[in-house]
Amino acid sequence: MEETATIKKNWTAGLRFWSDREELLGPLFLFPAILYIVALVGIPFMIALAYSFSDVTVGNTSLDFAGLQNFQAILKTPQFITSLGNTIVFTIVSQIIIIVLANILALILSEDFRGKWFARFLIMLPWATPIALGTIGWLWLLDSKFSPIDWTLRYLHLLGEPGALLGAQKNLFYLGRVELAKASIMAIYVWRMLPLAAVILMAGLTSIPQDILDQADVDGASFWRTLFQIKLPLILPIMSIALLFSLIFTIGDMAVVYVLTRGGPVYYTQILPTWAYYKGIESGALAEGAATALFLFPVLLAVAIMVLRFSRRTEVT
Amino acid sequence: MAVIEIKNLSKHFDKVKAVDGVDLAIPEGELLVILGPSGCGKTTLMRMIAGLEKPTSGTISIGGLNVTDLPPRARPIAMVFQSYALYPHMTVFNNIAFPLKAHGNFSRQEIREKVEWAAGILGIEVLLDRKPRQLSGGERQRVALGRALVKEPKVLLLDEPLSNLDAKLRASARDELQRFQRRLGITTIFVTHDQIEALGMGDRIAVMSHGKVMQVGTPQDVYHNSANTFVASFLGSPGMNFIHRGNYLLGFRPEQFVPQEIAENRDDLQLFPFAVTRVEYLGAEQQVYGVVEGSNEGRTVISSMSSETNVKLEPGETYTFAVQKQQLRFFDYETGVCIETQPL
Repeated sequence: MEETATIKKNWTAGLRFWSDREELLGPLFLFPAILYIVALVGIPFMIALAYSFSDVTVGNTSLDFAGLQNFQAILKTPQFITSLGNTIVFTIVSQIIIIVLANILALILSEDFRGKWFARFLIMLPWATPIALGTIGWLWLLDSKFSPIDWTLRYLHLLGEPGALLGAQKNLFYLGRVELAKASIMAIYVWRMLPLAAVILMAGLTSIPQDILDQADVDGASFWRTLFQIKLPLILPIMSIALLFSLIFTIGDMAVVYVLTRGGPVYYTQILPTWAYYKGIESGALAEGAATALFLFPVLLAVAIMVLRFSRRTEVT
Repeated sequence: MAVIEIKNLSKHFDKVKAVDGVDLAIPEGELLVILGPSGCGKTTLMRMIAGLEKPTSGTISIGGLNVTDLPPRARPIAMVFQSYALYPHMTVFNNIAFPLKAHGNFSRQEIREKVEWAAGILGIEVLLDRKPRQLSGGERQRVALGRALVKEPKVLLLDEPLSNLDAKLRASARDELQRFQRRLGITTIFVTHDQIEALGMGDRIAVMSHGKVMQVGTPQDVYHNSANTFVASFLGSPGMNFIHRGNYLLGFRPEQFVPQEIAENRDDLQLFPFAVTRVEYLGAEQQVYGVVEGSNEGRTVISSMSSETNVKLEPGETYTFAVQKQQLRFFDYETGVCIETQPL
C-alpha cells in the first residue's frame, strides 16, 4: 500500500518535471509534423529532383546523372509545350475570375440579410466536397448526350432547333471540343476555389473597422469610391494571400483534368501535373515525368515569395 | 438663429430607447458638449445628427434645412471619430483630401490649396507625406480634424476626440481644441463622458441620461444649479452629497461641506454633526468620508478640502461641519427634481 503510494507520487513528480521542460516538450510535440513533412513531402520531392537530372526509367532504375538532358528533351515535345501553355492559361484565367467573383460574393455575404447563414453554408459546399467527387458530378453535368445543361438550353429554345442561338445540333459536346473543354476545366477550377477565396475575403472585409466605413460615409464617398479606395485597398494583403492559396491549389491539381477530360481531346487539355503522370507513371519515363512535374517549381517558389512579401508590405495598421 | 434644431428626436433599438424625445437648439458658433455616462445615448444622438443612424421619430434641421432623411454626404457636417478613423493606407495629404475628392467639384489645384490651408491651421504641414501609422496620437487627432475642416462644414461633430490621448496630452489638446474652435467660430458638438472636458470646454453642456436630456446650460449653471439629482451627482468628483429630510433631499457639494472652524460667512451656516470614518489624502486636497448623524439612511457624505488646512480630523470622532445656507439645494425625494428652498 505504502509502496504504490510512493510510486504514484514519484510518477506525478516525474510528470511535473517533464511538463516544465519546454525545451524538450516543444521538439517532442513538433516531431510528428516534421516526420510527416519529411516523409511525405521532403523525400518524394528530393527523389523527384534526383530523377529529373537522371536517366531513370521504369525499366532501368539505376540513377545516372544526365544533366539538363530531360528538360531539353521535354521542351521538344508538343505535348509538353501544350501542357505548359494550358497550365499557365488555365491558372491565370481562373485566378482572375476567382478574384473578381470572390470579391463580389464576399461583399454580398458581408451584408446583413435573412438566411445569410444558410447562404454561407451553401457557398462553402464546393470547397467541402472532395475534388474527384465534385469533378465526377461535373462529368455528368457535361455529358455529351445526357447533359442537364444541354437539356435546359433546349428547353429554353437556345439549342437544338433551327435558328437557335447556340446552334441546331442537339448537344454542345462540352468535353469533345477543345475550346469548350478548356472552358469547362477553368469553370470547375473557379467553382472549386471560389468558396475559399470568398470566405477569406469576407473575413478581410469584416475586419475593416466600422468607424472607417462611417467616416467614408460622412466624408461623402459614394459606394464605388468606398469600394475601390477604401475597402479593396484595405483587404489587399488578405486578397493576395487568398490568391496565393488559390493559385497553389489550382496549379498543383491534377484531379480535375484527369477525371474530366484525361487530357483530351487528343492532348489539347493536358496540364503539367497530368502530363507528368502520363509520361512518368503510365509510360514509364520516370526522369522526364519528374522533369515535367518540377518544371514550374522555380516559378511557383518565386511567385510565393513575391506574394508573401507584397502582403507584408501592404499590411496596414 | 439656431444652426441645428433637433425636435422630439428618438431612436429605439428593439425595446431599448437609446434616445428618447430629445429637443435641442444650438446657435451659430457655439461649442455644445453632450455629457453623460456610457450608454446614455449621447453617441447615438450624434450619429443621428451625422446621418449614420436613422431616427425612429423626430426631426433634425441644419442651417434651416430639414436633413432628417438625408444621407451623411448630403449634410453640411463633418465628424471626428473617437478612433480618428484615418484611412490607414493613405498619406496624411490624401486623408485630408478625401472629402474634397469625394465631393467631386474641386480641381487638383483647389484640393492642394485647401489641404494646405487646413494643414497650416493645425500645424501639420510637415506630416503631409506620412502614413497614419507613423503619427503620434496627438498628430492623428490633428489630421482627423484637418480632414473634418477641409470641407468647411456648418457643423463639426466630435465623438470623444480626446479619450485616445494620454492624460498629460489631453490637457493641452483641450486647450488647443477650444482655441481652434473659437478662432474658426464653427458650430461644434462635442460628445464626452468626461465632465472635466465638458466643464472646461463647453459654452453650454447638455447632460444626458437614459436617452433623455436632463439639463442644458452653461457649465456654471449645470454645476451650481443642477436641475435634478442625476445631474447633481454626475457632475463633480465626487458628486453632490444628499441627505434625506422628510419628503425632500438636501444636497450640497463636497467642497462646500467643511469644518465649522474654517467655514466662511459664519452668520448663515447650516451645521451638521459629522462622524468621520476615513480620511483620504490626495496630495493637494483631502477627502473626508463619514456619516451625518441623525440622517436616517446613514448615507456616506464626503467633504473635500485643502490638505493644508490646520483642522485635525481623526476617523471615529464626530465633528461639527457646516454648509452655507445659500449653497444648499433641495430635490424632491420621489422625482429627484430640484425644488425651491425649503425651511429647515
